[in-house]
Amino acid sequence: MSESKDSEGRDSLAMPSRRTVLVLGAAAASTVVTIRPALAQTAGSVLNCQIPVPSPQAGGQYIAADGSLVAPGTPGSFAPATRPLTGEEVKVMLNGGPSPAGVDPQSAQAYANYIRRLQAGMSGFTCYASLQMPR
Amino acid sequence: MPRYMADPQDKLRRVELDGLTALFHEPSGMTHIIAPPAPQILDTLAQGPADAAEILARIMQSFEVDRTQGSEAVEARLAELETAGLVSRL
Repeated sequence: MSESKDSEGRDSLAMPSRRTVLVLGAAAASTVVTIRPALAQTAGSVLNCQIPVPSPQAGGQYIAADGSLVAPGTPGSFAPATRPLTGEEVKVMLNGGPSPAGVDPQSAQAYANYIRRLQAGMSGFTCYASLQMPR
Repeated sequence: MPRYMADPQDKLRRVELDGLTALFHEPSGMTHIIAPPAPQILDTLAQGPADAAEILARIMQSFEVDRTQGSEAVEARLAELETAGLVSRL
């Protein structure tokens, strides 16, 4: 049993004990099915949802260039966004577009990195997840 | 040929389901059911970014592959994974 698991306890598909035949499939075959959670489904709600940077629970903390939260005044960090960013602004920003109004480009980059680190349960995550959904 | 990368494996929660793989992608909060060779392609990208030909070469280190399918089939699978947000172009 243990020999079929890797160090993380996951089945080790990439390293079979015998060489297995892998069918790559035809160009028209489909190998991915996405289960969409019932998050904001309409374009309007996605673009109008809001992401506070940082979340209210982390209010007052600054954002480092890599998106992590640091103590206020930490060198190289950026002050929190003065208002929540909208889904539309974040979408544009994450795609390399212009910074939201009133946000300088360096702060915007830090905010974008903060948003990329959002996880389930954090304020703004649902909005960010909705932006990522394939349509 | 475009090069592709996948999110770090600690951003994915993965459960093997008797030939299929359920994959929870933390950054997007979405769950995907993927079939071979998609999990194997993600495994090869865990070794670092690659284009379709490099991915095929990595897969062939561990698996027998029908030579008539080749990197064109890998590209088709990559397009699906890209649409699902599981891989992205460099």
